Formats: sequence, structure tokens, C-alpha cells
Amino acid sequence: MGFIHRHRWLTPYLLLVPGLAWLALFFVVPLGFLAHQSLEVQNPIDYSYAFKWAWHNYSDAISTYEPQLVRSFEYAAIATALALVLSYPLAYWIAFRGGRWKNVLLLFIIGPFFVTYLIRTLAWETILSDNSFVVSTLKHIGILGPNDRLLQTSTAVVAGITYNFLPFMALPLYVSLEQIDPRLVEAAKDLYASSAKAFLKVTLPLSLPGIFAGTLLTFIPAAGDFINAQLLGTSDQYMIGNVIQSRFLELTDYPTAAALSFILMAIILAVVLIYARALGTEKLTG
Amino acid sequence: MTTAAEVVSAPAPRVRPSLLAFVRRHVLTVYSLLVFAYLLLPIVVVVLFSFNSPKGRFNVVWNHFTLDNWVNWDAVSGIRSSIELSLEIAAIASLAATALGTLIALALVRYRFRGRGATNMLIFLPMASPEIVLGASLLTLFLSVNAQLGFWTITIAHVMFCISYVVVTVRARLIGFDRHLEEAAMDLGANEWTTFRKVTLPLLAPAILSALLLCFALSVDDFVITNFNSGATVTFPLFVWGAARVATPPQINVIGTAIFAIALTVMIVNVAVQMGRSRKGTTA
Amino acid sequence: MTVPGLAAEVARGGVHLPKGVDPKRLKKTLVFSNWPLYIDYNTKKHTHPTLDLFTKQYGVKVKYIEDINQNEPFFGKIQAQLRRGQSIGRDIIVMTDNSRFPALMVKQGWVQKIDKSVIPNIKNLLPALANPAWDPHREHSLPWQSGMTGIGYNAKYTKPVTTVDQLLFDKKLKGKVTLLDSIGDTLPLIVLSNGDDPTKIDDAAFNRALKKIEKAKKAGQIRKFTGNDYIAMFPTGDVWAGFVWSGDMPQITPSTPKARWLIPKSGGTIWTDNMLIPTGGDSYTASVYMNFYYQPKIAALVEDAIFYVCPVKGAGEQIKKIDPAAAKSRLIFPTKEMLKKIYVVDPKALFNPDFQVKWQAMLGA
Repeated sequence: MGFIHRHRWLTPYLLLVPGLAWLALFFVVPLGFLAHQSLEVQNPIDYSYAFKWAWHNYSDAISTYEPQLVRSFEYAAIATALALVLSYPLAYWIAFRGGRWKNVLLLFIIGPFFVTYLIRTLAWETILSDNSFVVSTLKHIGILGPNDRLLQTSTAVVAGITYNFLPFMALPLYVSLEQIDPRLVEAAKDLYASSAKAFLKVTLPLSLPGIFAGTLLTFIPAAGDFINAQLLGTSDQYMIGNVIQSRFLELTDYPTAAALSFILMAIILAVVLIYARALGTEKLTG
Repeated sequence: MTTAAEVVSAPAPRVRPSLLAFVRRHVLTVYSLLVFAYLLLPIVVVVLFSFNSPKGRFNVVWNHFTLDNWVNWDAVSGIRSSIELSLEIAAIASLAATALGTLIALALVRYRFRGRGATNMLIFLPMASPEIVLGASLLTLFLSVNAQLGFWTITIAHVMFCISYVVVTVRARLIGFDRHLEEAAMDLGANEWTTFRKVTLPLLAPAILSALLLCFALSVDDFVITNFNSGATVTFPLFVWGAARVATPPQINVIGTAIFAIALTVMIVNVAVQMGRSRKGTTA
Repeated sequence: MTVPGLAAEVARGGVHLPKGVDPKRLKKTLVFSNWPLYIDYNTKKHTHPTLDLFTKQYGVKVKYIEDINQNEPFFGKIQAQLRRGQSIGRDIIVMTDNSRFPALMVKQGWVQKIDKSVIPNIKNLLPALANPAWDPHREHSLPWQSGMTGIGYNAKYTKPVTTVDQLLFDKKLKGKVTLLDSIGDTLPLIVLSNGDDPTKIDDAAFNRALKKIEKAKKAGQIRKFTGNDYIAMFPTGDVWAGFVWSGDMPQITPSTPKARWLIPKSGGTIWTDNMLIPTGGDSYTASVYMNFYYQPKIAALVEDAIFYVCPVKGAGEQIKKIDPAAAKSRLIFPTKEMLKKIYVVDPKALFNPDFQVKWQAMLGA
């Protein structure tokens, strides 16, 4: 203890080293290997790889898989928007009307997500199958035509993504709404603002950090998802995640898969930066 | 003289009740209940179908009620070993990640040091990267060093992605920490280590426990990263994925329901304890 | 004689055990990866009776893992370790010869030789299967089952689907059709429907076939390209017809009683699933198991449950004794007319990288 006492300045570094070393070794270094792999070329006869500074892997990947790339960000954006629209009123209700039961109500949001992701998505397969109660009712009402289906369509995939990432949107929204002092809203109303105006001018801006965090926490994993497309869609709905996964694990075309991974990361980072700039809030890391 | 606070907190004049007001008051509640129903719908299906006795081996159409699946939950070959494996990996990974992450959190909040910005970035990036990239890059590393894919590669991967969550959880608690108690202890003659052991750590315990449980949950549920780094080893989510390609046996619903029930119970206990605490007024 | 009766007879040691099996060389546990629903299964006791019999006779436990859903993804999972000479923790895996993988694995040296000294029952192998091009002297493999790919349909929703063209272009089936995603299964059937030869697929024939599939895809006819997962889509009514493996029918019919199978008018394919011993597997123990399986009575027990075509001579007679209803099954005993219409797919087509790339592009990932 004396040693540490005398060398106080060492303490934070000693605390940091184990964890950061782990992250450096198993997060940063692998990305380096992945980058290396993305510049390799695969021999089609015996499936071996050779490093060749193959930058064309990137351009080839983008041109070949442009549809999937575009689709991934489309789906992720729609799902995020839907999640926002669905969660905001819910989070608002719990934060402002929840009272003593706030934590219990939160359980209802978090609870379903204790069932394994895959099992939940499989349940949607059952719920949305052609002869299920849900689909039959929709056909009865007329929202679906007699020959339509929900499974194996982009609707099902986007619905699945929205569902699976809902808590990532709802919880940050709740946290930031819950911190708003209700008296501020009251004050606005006392100053003759209508409920709607009070909401728009007071509540909404104050909940912006929550919206920001929620959208990012939803959009980023949604863009890289492939499970919903695999289970609820067909190859016409495949996202870039499906391509990366099949290139890695089924077709062992590592260079293309690696290049695609970096392309995905780069696009996400770009989107995040633009978004942060636009909203003007950047306190992500806290 | 009335204070501003009194003005603000004075009751608003009574509004004449009208249908519109009634609807507006309750539409939010109704809406929220509908959203809850939507959130719970698949869960109900999962639980329900765990009691289904399917015709043939496919649990996709309701046939009739049975308790057989619950009694013979390990009747499907491979399901038992997969869940045992998942639990083992989760236990080890969550302990390791919590330890490493807590140390980092302490350093970040309590000390000044160079490289704070870079550290924050390093913590944040894994949470912001798509799982598929995390998994794939780790696979590349393991293959390059000829590591045997299996139990340990999976565990290493899980520790890696959990650390960030631990840091965020523990740090949130540390920031709101009331240092007066520690100062009081030191005023009473305790040295730093004793203070840490007897005051800081116990007060930090709930956050550390939360982080541990969060890691455990993330690890048991992880599919994408595990899929890349497991070789031919099969954890529970991998088992579900494989089964989903063929026919999902009802036992999968049984285990899914069980995990859900246990996790929910833990959360309910946690919430109840917190509600009890806030009533007694003990906080730090 | 009944199935339990035969099993009991085997258990009593009424089966001839090969001399010269050294118990000291046997592993404690045999790890066996196979396709799902591909072995006998007791639904009440949740066990695999023939595997239990093996354990009883040799004292070797069997860890049976049903993790092969399609050849391609399974291979993708294991190839990284095999390429580095690492064990994948399996003694026996089963892969189909209408994929390029058995041939590839033999060529690359990723599978071990079977130990013929403990497989005297190899004499029971059907002569037609004794000399495949990729393993001419059966040094590295033994067939598990053979099967046919044809059209399966649910008579509850559609009249019989007898041709590939009907499957692909009948508007009444729009959005209710699945095709198999493996090139070795789907390509030959389409090629046949164009009047081309599936045993010699040239570029022109391939392109014609691909065009046909694209046309059906564009029209929204095809719901999904699947591996084994088409099975679960029949009972929910999500699929009414598709390319189906013959032996899957007994798995489909309990939940879809009106499901039927047939060989398309233009012809179908026949393929063989093979037991292989990957790097790191125990060749001795695996070979002892293979010998056990190649007893007609044991093969018959497995056959009775799965309705594929058995590679073991004499199993047919055994089945007729224990399950006369099964004896009538055209799936286990294809008729002469059927045999005339089924072909083995051109192995060169499987190794053609250009075909691979185009096929993957068509599949969309």
C-alpha cells in the first residue's frame, strides 16, 4: 500500500490497464486483422487467401451489394422512426402519469426482452403466419387482400426490427422525460400556453437528449441486424448483415465480408456524426 | 407575500369537464395500454406454446395442452448441454467483465489522467459497433492465431462486449455518489483502502450487482457474436437458431419462458427492494 | 415380427458381432453430427433406439447432434478449423454428394480413412453405390441414406402439382412455393424441365435454368429459398408446394395429413448422404459404428423411421418383415418407373465457380 501511496499518479492507470488491455486486444486488434483481411484475395480453387492490397474489394462490394446496403439503412431508419413514434407517448405516460408505479411499468417494457431475441422473433413468425389469427383478422377487415401475406415481406421484417429494438428507444426517452421538472410545464401553461404548445416548447426540447440517445441506440444495431430478415423475410429483404453473415460463415468469402463490415461501420459513423451535428447535442459519452 | 413556489404549486382553476377533455385525458392511457399489449403479445405466444403438444414435431400450430414439455424439458438432444454451456459462459464472463469494468469506472470518475478522451472513446465504440462487426473481427483474430474455437473464444468475446456496459452502469452510480460518507470515514481515521472496503464498495454494491446481472443477461442471450466465434460448440441461442431452421421443439419455449420468469422475478425483487428503500428514505 | 421385436432380438445379441473389435481402442463417447429427423426416434421416451442398442453392445455412448441443416452453412462453420488441421470435435459428420463438399474434403485431406478392418459389413453396401467418382474405393466414406428430390404439395390447398412448370408458373400457387437453396437439388430439376441433361450441365443449359427461376421469382411465385426449414411452413399453410426431399414426407404428414410427394414429369434427382470422419475424429470408433449400422436389421430399424432409400443390402427384406406397410412405400423402394426418371447431378457443375457466383447472386446474398 505504501508504494501506491507514494506513487499516487499510478493508481488510475493501474485501474485502467486490465480492462483497457482486454478491449485493446479483443476489440482494436481484431479490427486491424479484419482490415488486413479486407485487402486479401481468395483463390477460388483451394479457398486460400493472399494479401494483395486489394482495394477493389471495397468498390466491388459496394457495387455488388448496393441494394442490400441501401435497404439496411432504409429499414433501420423506418424502424427507428416507428419506434420513436410508438415509444414517445408511452415513455411520456410513464414519466408523467406513472407516479409511484413508474418502476413497475418500466418492467413491462423491459420484461419481454428477457426472452431470448431469437425466440421472440420466432414467436412473430407464428403470429404472422398465413393462417394465424392476426392475418385472418386483417384479411377480414380488409387491410390485407385475400392473396396477401405478412410473413416473408418487408413489412414483417421492419415490424420485427421495430419490436426488437423498442426498449432501446423507450428507456432513454423515459430517462430524459422523467428528469423534466413538471413545474416547468405548469409554468408555461400559467403563461397561457395551450397543452400542445407547452409540450412543443418545453417538454419536447428538454427530451431531446433522450431522443438523440434513443435514436442512436436503435438505429445502429438495427442497421447491422440480420436475424429479422432471415426469419421473417426472404432474400429480397436481406440486409447487409445477412450478406456479411453468409459471406463469413457459409461461403467463407472473408475478404468481401471484411470489406462490407468496414463499409457498414463507416456509414454508421457518418450518419451518427451528421445527426449529432444537426441536433447540436453531442454529449454521448457523458 | 406569496412566494413563486406557492404560486406555481397553487391548484389550477377547475376546468368544466367535457367529453373532449375526458378523451384527451385518457387517450394516452389507452394508447399506452395498447403498446403494452403489443409488447407482450409474442411473450404470451411463447409461454402459451410451451404448453402445446404439437402434431408431429413442429410447434407452429396449436394442438392441445400438455405439461409434458415442462416435465421433459431436456428431451430434445442437445438442449440441456447448450443451456448449461450458456450459463457457465455467462457466469465466468460476467464476473470477469464486471471486475474489469468496475475498475475502469472507478478510474474514470475518481481520478484525473491523461487520455481520458481516448478511454471514453474506447469504451463507447464497442457499444456503437454493430454486433456483426465485433463478431467477425474477433473471428479473424482467432483464426489468425490458430486458436481453437469453442468455449474460451466465446467467453473472451462475451467479456469484451460486456465491459462497456459495466462501465456505463457503475459510472452512473459513481457520479451520483455522496462523498461525504467517505470523507466522514477518513475523518474518523480510516485509511483509503479501509474506507474503500468498508464504505465505498458496500454502497457501490447495488450498481456492481446490476452490472453483473446485465452482463449475465447479455451473455446468455447473445447470438450474433457467439455464432461467429463458437466453431462447432453450441450455446442455447445457437441451438435455437439451428432448431429454427428445421422445427422448433416446444422445449425451446419452455426454456425461453423459464429464463423470462427468472429474470422477471429478479427485476421485481429489485424494484420492490428499491421501493421499500425509498419509503424508508435510505439512499446514499 | 415387429419393430420392438427386432430391436429386442438385436439387444439379446441375436446379431452377429464382428470379431476383433478391441474394446480398449474404443472412445468413451462417439460424437455424431447429422441432419435433423434422420434417424429413428422414440417420441415417448425421447431416445434414439438404434443408438441405444449400439451403446448396449459396445459400451460407447453416442452424443448425437442434429446440427446439419444444409451442407453449405455447416461446411462454412467447420472449414476454418479443418483448414488449420484442428479437430472440430466430431467423429462422424454426414454430407451430401450433390454438394461439392465430400469431394472437396477428401481432396484436401480433411477426412480420415475409414478402418475397413472393423467394417466387414461393408460387403452389404449396394453395388450401385460402391464406386462414386469422388471416393472410388470407399476409403473415406460410407453412405448413410440415399434420397430423392421431387415435388411435395399439400392436397388440402392445391390439386396435384405434377410438373416443374406448374410449380413455377401456375398463378394459383403464387407466393406459396418454396425451392431448395442448394444448387445440387434445385438446378437439376429445372434443367430437366427445360429438356436438358442434368448429368452434363453446360453453360447454355445453366443459363436457361437460371432464367426460368428468375422469371418465376419476378412474378412473385416463389416465397422463399429454403434448406430444411420448408418443413415447418407446410402445417401453417404458408407453403402449398415446393421441392421436397423424399424422406421428409413422414415428418410432414403427421401435421399436414394431405401432403403428397411425387417425381416431376420431367424427372428428379437422387443423391446420397455420406458418413465422413473429419480431422480429429476417432476413426476406429467411428468405423465400428459404421459396421454396426451396416447390419441389415439395424439399417432396417433406422429406415422404418425415415423413409429414405437404404444403402444396405438386405435391409429391404427386413423392413418388409417388421413393417409391411412400409414395404409398400415408394419412397423406400422406388419403382422401376421412378428409377428411370431420377438422375445424379453433374458433379462438375457443383465445382464450377462461375455457376456458384451466378447461383449465389440469384439467391440474393
